[in-house]
Amino acid sequence: MDIIVILLSVSGLVFFFATTVGILRFPDFYSRMHAAGKGDTLSSLIMLLALVLYNFHDFNLANLLVALKILLIVVFIFMASPTATHAIIDAGYESGIQPWTKKPEEES
Amino acid sequence: MIWQLDLSILTLIVICAFATIMVKDLLSAAIIFGAYSFLMCLLWTEMGAVDVAFTEASVGAGVSTVLFIAAIHQTTRRVGFRKSGRGLSKAIGLVAALLTGLVLLIAETDFPGFASPFSPASLHLSPYYITQTLHDTNVPNIVTSVLADYRGFDTMFETAVIFTAGLAVIAILRRYKKDDQCELPEPYIISEGYPDTIIRFVARQLVPFMQLFALYVVAHGHHSPGGGFQGGVIIGASFILLAISYDTRMIIGLMSEKTNILLGNIGVLIYAGIGFLCLLLGANFLDYSMLSKVLPATDKVMARSHGMLGIEIGVAIAVMAIVISIYINIVSCGKYDKDV
Amino acid sequence: MDSFFIGIGVVLCFLMLLTLHRAIHGPTAIDRIMGVNVVGTKTTILLVIIGTIYHRVDMFVDIALAYALLNFIVTIAASRYFHLHKNLNPKGYGYRFRKEDK
Repeated sequence: MDIIVILLSVSGLVFFFATTVGILRFPDFYSRMHAAGKGDTLSSLIMLLALVLYNFHDFNLANLLVALKILLIVVFIFMASPTATHAIIDAGYESGIQPWTKKPEEES
Repeated sequence: MIWQLDLSILTLIVICAFATIMVKDLLSAAIIFGAYSFLMCLLWTEMGAVDVAFTEASVGAGVSTVLFIAAIHQTTRRVGFRKSGRGLSKAIGLVAALLTGLVLLIAETDFPGFASPFSPASLHLSPYYITQTLHDTNVPNIVTSVLADYRGFDTMFETAVIFTAGLAVIAILRRYKKDDQCELPEPYIISEGYPDTIIRFVARQLVPFMQLFALYVVAHGHHSPGGGFQGGVIIGASFILLAISYDTRMIIGLMSEKTNILLGNIGVLIYAGIGFLCLLLGANFLDYSMLSKVLPATDKVMARSHGMLGIEIGVAIAVMAIVISIYINIVSCGKYDKDV
Repeated sequence: MDSFFIGIGVVLCFLMLLTLHRAIHGPTAIDRIMGVNVVGTKTTILLVIIGTIYHRVDMFVDIALAYALLNFIVTIAASRYFHLHKNLNPKGYGYRFRKEDK
């Protein structure tokens, strides 16, 4: 059981790292929002799942309730985080941010 | 106390604080201040103070940031910049800050060590609360019992201060000119604000569950972190979410100005009323054990627990009404007619 | 297992530092809103991890849920501002001290 928890936590951390690299290095606002919205939600799901499994060391009713509460957080993040991403991208589009286009190469 | 996490979070907090001062765009400074509040809550959780962290999360990181953004929306985003006398005022400010810091550092060497068991608070005061709370009041959460029972007088005045803050905002901002007022629509009319279907749908689905969670936080404050303040602020925040995704006139239709002030009054009245009821029954002010004469089938210990629940409900009602009232006043500039 | 979770917490704090660089240095104000949103989500997870280290998860889950709620509300309020004042980066804004009007 411990090995599954360690595996899930490390993979969640890898996805978080990918999200952060995406936020820093993408050239355009829209692509950064892609990285932030999608990567964030997926990483949260995997890490909270790892913590739910770690809670099941001793199996009684109180631990079951705590596991259900953590799953409630996961459901809420799944509903709210894409909506927040949509709100930010909509605000950016209405304010007139232009997408990044690849500049044509010039001959010297 | 985990020193590795402590060090990293404190570094992040210092970086956020520097960034808030140095960014010259006021809206961005308000947003980074929201991030600073998030990180402060994390620090308090790591120290073990969960009730304080809950209050900081709900009030500081949630409602306070929204109120800052609403205030910037009315005024300007530009930081004023004086051109003359900059060097001298900066030098005086630096010297004053350094002197204050030095005095505080010298005074700090007189304190007992951090969380040492020989400080006066840990020797004389804490053992009494830790051993006697469950025996006196049947409430496992020591913080709630100290706030609401052993030191209930202070909490009553805190609630009165919140009500006074709401009155102060009304006194400063509210305008009553006859030609400014328009007719408020009936509630539940979907106005033509900015018709964003996704945000409206999700907000409409989420608000009942948020309010249910806030009621759980109020009622379960005896056994888990929570209490009246936090629950009231979360209900107010759910109304602010509705106001943002629809527009302000819908909230004015639901909770008009008269309702807000009335509910703020009723909250403080419930608190003081329970204290006064104990006075009528022959005990001191806010001594809940005498409520066992009025409530059926409770002994003195359970009466204190029920008295605490009553005043938490009063605090939650007052805080909810005042948060909504302050938000509507700031966003509509006191005129109660904007479709923002 | 405790030291493993402490290690994960420290790595998460380091990733928060990298995201804060975007929140401070982002050329427009909307980049900063996005940075604060990501910091808020990471803080939610860090709260549950701290609860696991202290072996009292049931106390900390309530706070994490309230955190996710308020993070969502702040993001929607901040992006709602931009529908009304479509002014991304007015002239003369930066984050260094000596930026004058051009």
